[in-house]
Amino acid sequence: MITKEIIEKIEGEASVEFEIKDNLVEFATISFPHFRGIEMILNGKNALDALVITPRVCGICGHAHLMASVRAIEDAYKNAGYEIKNNQKIEKIREFTLIMEIIQNHFKWFYMTLIPELEKLHSTSLVQTPLKGAFAASLAAKAIATFAGQWPHSSYMIPGGITSDPTNIDILQVQTYLQELSLFFENETLGTSLEDFLSFESCKEFRGLNSDFSYIEEKLISLEMHEKGFAYDKFLILGKHSFTSVSKLNKTHAVGIDAKFVNTVEAYSPNQITYAKNAQYKKEYYETGPLSRMMALNFPIIKNMHRRFKDSAYSRVMARIFELAYLLKKASSLATTLTIAESSYNSVVDISKITASGLGVVEAPRGPLLHKIEIEKGIIESYKIITPTQFNIGSSSLKNPTPAQKAMQKLSKEEALFVFRTFDVCSVCTTH
Amino acid sequence: MHSKQDKKLKILWFRGVTCNGNTHSFLNLPHLEQLLNRFEILYHPILESTLSLVEITKLKDKCDIFIFEGAYDPLMRRNEVLIGDIVTHYAKNAKHIIAAGSCASFGGIFKASAPQRNSGLIFNEDVEYGPLQSYKDRVINLSGCPIHPEWLSYVLGMILNKKEIEVDSLHRPIELYSNLAHHGCTRNEYFEWKVDADNFGEKEGCLFYKQGCRAPMTHSSCNKILWNNVSSKTRVGTPCFGCTEPNFPLTNLFSTKTNMSIPKDVPVGISKRSYLTLTGIAKTFYIKRLEGKLIDYKRDN
Ligand code: SF4
Repeated sequence: MITKEIIEKIEGEASVEFEIKDNLVEFATISFPHFRGIEMILNGKNALDALVITPRVCGICGHAHLMASVRAIEDAYKNAGYEIKNNQKIEKIREFTLIMEIIQNHFKWFYMTLIPELEKLHSTSLVQTPLKGAFAASLAAKAIATFAGQWPHSSYMIPGGITSDPTNIDILQVQTYLQELSLFFENETLGTSLEDFLSFESCKEFRGLNSDFSYIEEKLISLEMHEKGFAYDKFLILGKHSFTSVSKLNKTHAVGIDAKFVNTVEAYSPNQITYAKNAQYKKEYYETGPLSRMMALNFPIIKNMHRRFKDSAYSRVMARIFELAYLLKKASSLATTLTIAESSYNSVVDISKITASGLGVVEAPRGPLLHKIEIEKGIIESYKIITPTQFNIGSSSLKNPTPAQKAMQKLSKEEALFVFRTFDVCSVCTTH
Repeated sequence: MHSKQDKKLKILWFRGVTCNGNTHSFLNLPHLEQLLNRFEILYHPILESTLSLVEITKLKDKCDIFIFEGAYDPLMRRNEVLIGDIVTHYAKNAKHIIAAGSCASFGGIFKASAPQRNSGLIFNEDVEYGPLQSYKDRVINLSGCPIHPEWLSYVLGMILNKKEIEVDSLHRPIELYSNLAHHGCTRNEYFEWKVDADNFGEKEGCLFYKQGCRAPMTHSSCNKILWNNVSSKTRVGTPCFGCTEPNFPLTNLFSTKTNMSIPKDVPVGISKRSYLTLTGIAKTFYIKRLEGKLIDYKRDN
């Protein structure tokens, strides 16, 4: 039997066609129906215009696009023989605002996607609080706006630096937002302090908490999500940052990699139009995003969880919440070590002097985001974007399913739909 | 209980070709919960809603306020229903129609993905065009890429208070769009004395002369009602890109086109000649305070 489901309450829209046998999902093909043509829009424009256009690929992770763009252009400068070396202050502020965007994303996902979906699956009433997610996200956005002017759709990163020149007043302000956000997270979400949470060594320690988080953790276990939703147990991290390490992991075994080996293949979706290509690393599928990034670090709790529950839906969800805690701490330390003495911007040669290609890679909330630019005398000849959802979800054939397709197999349709969302789907990015 | 719920105005929020940036910007509204409690959300792509996408595409229900985000692409379908049918069904019955953002107002960024056919709800850039011509008197354009949350909150608040919202010739509320983005910028004094910013990344200098700032030609209250209640593009040294205007996005956004060494486009309503004269005079003065650093830090900190 074949049934089709429209997936909403994600970023954009997707549809999944299930082949059901004995009430279980035999296979699922996924399509992303709405084409938007950003790459085409960029052709023939001044390369710097990409800094304004590409954030508009996505309303929830536009800042990651901005950073991928600026890295791509700076890489082109380097390839043209004009290497740009950004100072610590520039790197730190860029990194800080990128982290804050991931944080706002995870809060929204937790309260606006995960909780309502779990509620549906469990047919009980959980904490009815989606707007809590919006509140927390808006605090993170304030911290971004202090340096970047606004969120969403800032364009404050430019080749050679950032446009803003913050004072200590701004830095203190940002610290206040972070304190408020951490308090919210501790009191409302976790039910314990950030420090305690980050020092947990086993999932058993979650049980003592009484909070939105612990409630969800219990529900996931009672729905047996620790035994469902497995993908390949292979992970990929490509963006260079202070908060993770570039690598691919086969289970827990990590090796170094290079983004130049990323390839794309046509999606398989015989019955429906789709505008998404699948992304791979050396022709193999990998899971990307918070679980991957956390696997690349040495947190005892993540190791413990992975030993017991592998790359289950449970691990995927828990890793995202754990990453939220980890990044909040990381952001606080960035904000406290920030000094304003260095310059915000160092002059670079005019873009019209640049004829070269460049690659910009960052970790967006859902995983690696790649921008490839080709510049001819300052003008964009070609622009290509590969997004995290293309790695995680895509749509392939039964012989070689993508991580999300694999994770949905042999589950009931309802469970499969939930597992699909544990990847934090972004359809808008995918149909850039 | 029931009757009270029934009396709430029903909002239906629908998406065309979009990045969802207007939704995410709106979610930043500080008093979001209080505001939303006064309405019933019949449908929103992310917020909890009374109906699902499948249900609203059956075109059986009606809403009081129809909010549209994104460019209008006549070939787009949602749940296999043509978007034109969806948009006209809800617009026909709605008392208020709100175009949220520049794509819905004028076509914006996503007009360019199919320039021959995509547009806003009642404008293609500044030309009247689009699916809702017959209902244009009820359309309010909240241009901006993205929309500012307080602007939408203002419109919804006015509707709740049963007040008339006066609009300009492009259907934008005059209380929000009579200002120029330039009003309230922390660099205004540099603008007056024609002191340009030497470079990006500085607190000092105006971005109008070299860095491409379009705020003096752009109707919006970005520097009056601050973004995220915190700041604005020009306050952090990013030029205004003119995102509330029908011609957004222009090109060469980080540099100023000049003509006789003054910006080719001059502030709204000012003749080139007056501007040139004034610039000539202002430039004859050397004002030390405006040429130096605003804050002279004595030591590293
Ligand atoms: S930077 Fe732009 S908004 Fe600010 S004063 Fe100059 S022209 Fe006006």
